[in-house]
Amino acid sequence: MIQYIVRRILQTIPVLIGVSILVFSMMHLVPGDPAQIMAGESAPQEQVDNLRERLGLNDPLPVQYFTYVSNVVQGDLGNSIRSGRDVGDEIGSRFWVTVELAFYSTILAVFIGIIAGVISATKRNSFADTGIMIVALFGLSMPNFWLGLMLIQWFAIGMDLPSWIPFLENTSWFKPSGWGSFSQIVLPVITLGTGSAAIIARMTRSSMLDVIGQDYIRTARAKGVKERIVIYRHALKNALIPVVTVVGLQFGGLLGGAVLTETVFAINGMGRLVIDSISARDFPVVQGTILVTALLFVFVNLLVDIAYKFLNKRIDLD
Amino acid sequence: MKTNKKWLLMVLAFVLSVFLAACASEPEEDSSSASGGETPSESGDQGGDLIIATDSDAVSLDPHMTNDTPSANVRINIYDNLVTQDENMELQPSLAESWEQIDETTWEFKLREGVTFHDGTEFNAEVVKANIERILDPEIGAAVLFMYNMVTEVQVVDDYTVRFITEYPFAPLPAHLAHPGGQMISKELIEEDYAAIESGEQPGSVINANPVGTGPFIFEEWKNGQSVTLVNNENYWDEPALLDSVTFNVVPEDLTRISELTTGNAHITTPLSPSDVAQVEGTDGMHVQRQESSSLAYIGFNMDKEPFDDVRVRQAISMAIDKEQIINGIYDGAGIPANGPLAPGIFGHDETLNGLEYNVEEAKNLLAEAGYEDGFSATIWTNDDRQRVDTATNVQAQLAEIGIDLEVEILEWGAMLDQTANGEHEMMVFGWTTVTGDADNGLYPLFHSDNLGTPGNRTFTVDEELDKYLDEARQTADPEARKELYSQAQEKLVELAPFAYLLHQEYLLGVRDEVKNLSQLPTQLLQLKEVYIEE
Repeated sequence: MIQYIVRRILQTIPVLIGVSILVFSMMHLVPGDPAQIMAGESAPQEQVDNLRERLGLNDPLPVQYFTYVSNVVQGDLGNSIRSGRDVGDEIGSRFWVTVELAFYSTILAVFIGIIAGVISATKRNSFADTGIMIVALFGLSMPNFWLGLMLIQWFAIGMDLPSWIPFLENTSWFKPSGWGSFSQIVLPVITLGTGSAAIIARMTRSSMLDVIGQDYIRTARAKGVKERIVIYRHALKNALIPVVTVVGLQFGGLLGGAVLTETVFAINGMGRLVIDSISARDFPVVQGTILVTALLFVFVNLLVDIAYKFLNKRIDLD
Repeated sequence: MKTNKKWLLMVLAFVLSVFLAACASEPEEDSSSASGGETPSESGDQGGDLIIATDSDAVSLDPHMTNDTPSANVRINIYDNLVTQDENMELQPSLAESWEQIDETTWEFKLREGVTFHDGTEFNAEVVKANIERILDPEIGAAVLFMYNMVTEVQVVDDYTVRFITEYPFAPLPAHLAHPGGQMISKELIEEDYAAIESGEQPGSVINANPVGTGPFIFEEWKNGQSVTLVNNENYWDEPALLDSVTFNVVPEDLTRISELTTGNAHITTPLSPSDVAQVEGTDGMHVQRQESSSLAYIGFNMDKEPFDDVRVRQAISMAIDKEQIINGIYDGAGIPANGPLAPGIFGHDETLNGLEYNVEEAKNLLAEAGYEDGFSATIWTNDDRQRVDTATNVQAQLAEIGIDLEVEILEWGAMLDQTANGEHEMMVFGWTTVTGDADNGLYPLFHSDNLGTPGNRTFTVDEELDKYLDEARQTADPEARKELYSQAQEKLVELAPFAYLLHQEYLLGVRDEVKNLSQLPTQLLQLKEVYIEE
């Protein structure tokens, strides 16, 4: 196991080198000059030239890349072109915000997704099954910035409800923006988690249906094991393996895809940082953020692989 | 079975810990929400903690390092200029009590006595010298150098008298000193910043981290990408500001900013998009505040490319566009039609200027004269700004009437800046703000042949007569003679039609009713000194 983990960690090195070269060349290939963008549309040439010189953008590209890489190896991600601040600091404060957001959303998605998936599978073709799958389809196809704005409208600004509904005359329960308190976390987590919940529900359903049809389930039932135990101990555990893979991928996707949710709810996370930095052609920040995200993604996938081992001892990691 | 239970327990413990963590983080809630809407003021009736929801964060709080509106909006409260602008763009004394032009290339400023910086150091002539010299220092790479590069020397005459020597006669110098780039930083801080450069830091890093000016508010905290907080400077040299504190919260999404206003989490939202005016006006407790601006929205032609090298084609297009449609349909009435490049209120604006009238028949005739009676196809570029995209689409429909088949292409902002500077465009929807309130800044970069491409002349206008007017006007001291030269330049620009001048936009703010005395400059900067929140 340890050997496996070490090997996997070593494997991340070429991945990171690849990512850094890719991001570096892509950022420099797109049209747009950071000095010009920073200076703005009303800026004269002299100002742009000054900036370009100050930011070291006049060096040849390979020189810029090697300076960058040798600094990264020493733990220095460079300075932001826009603000001049240390990229490590820029990412640091936002990293945990995005990880928290993605983490809570994943928890929510797993909770709802698995329960809905199991109910759907065990009550196959029932009213509940059809209902859940229709809702899941909605969840999947709903753009999350739209859902976010609607949630703000309904539960932050609040709805005018008819007075005969008890306790509900005012639904402005949550805050429309920011991150930290419970009232700020709920809406973005629902916004971000809905799509994943739908995917997990559908995955759980099909995987459960597969497993339920297998011989050992019939054997368990024949032995007179209670249905609840058959489903939750025998079937679900095996059905979870593909679901865990999806959850891992979803978590990675949420890390990168949180940008719309972060923008709508004014959450100061990595997604917004990377988008703002791309618009400003702030190369060091984009490169740094993507490197960190790639690292995190690889790490989550490693955790997923280890989780297989817990779910099914027969899976050989080595 | 046992392992099953263990597994289940682990998951449960995990979930529980997550929820606990979520609850535990509640007390650390950030200042933006903690200081909420209606915090009672401590300094009596007129005061309060103002919260402004803005679309982007400040880039730098070092006035010499950037030239963007979000940064300037914060900095105007921390720093003072020698000269300041009022709501009518007229120059008013600030840290300088008076100024005069001694000879063609020398300006003398008498400075205010008894002004101290937030760090307790004194404001005097040496401070002015240190600030301007820092801007001129190539090692610093100041973003606002272009505003002051005609200055060759700053002479300290005595403690409170300072002289600016310019390379050539430069009439708009006081207006340039009123620009956000001319804000005065504490000399001690400038020296600290230089010391930090010696030890390998970026220029501006010290000033950006802890800005020190003489302004009505003192810098308190900057959470990057999230908020900037300023507190009242009780020792301000003029009447102190009324507010106890000001917080700028970054809320990028338009509709979320309006929600902040509706729920009372913010008092002001800036900018307000014209399409959201109805929503703000339709909600109790808030209103829309409008301010005429010194900006211009225009369609630029690439005069290096056929058929836009023909003045008749440019005039035809200008005449085929009904500006009222754009102003009322897209900007919700928040703007006035533009006759020429300069907005009313800018020094040098010619009120008697006749623009090209909307006249489709005449436009068709002009096109026919130019040999395009059957029209032609072209591409119009815009960035993804809501109003600009709508403008491009509207113009596409309007020009179809004179036979021009226009394709709208939406570019990412950085790419658009780059490619229009290289002259790759045919037509483009663009904008310009004359930040100094002086015609020089509104014409010279855009139309002088020295400034082709990146410096601002993206239409590649080259006209000797125009160059002559613009050169002469910036070097003439007499205001009346300057106005005359700018009138001639504007007439020439209507005739040349390098732009189809569309409109001068109004800046819009969403403001809660309890906010009193708020005003905004035509350059989009908020004036907060006299603002208070009524309980």
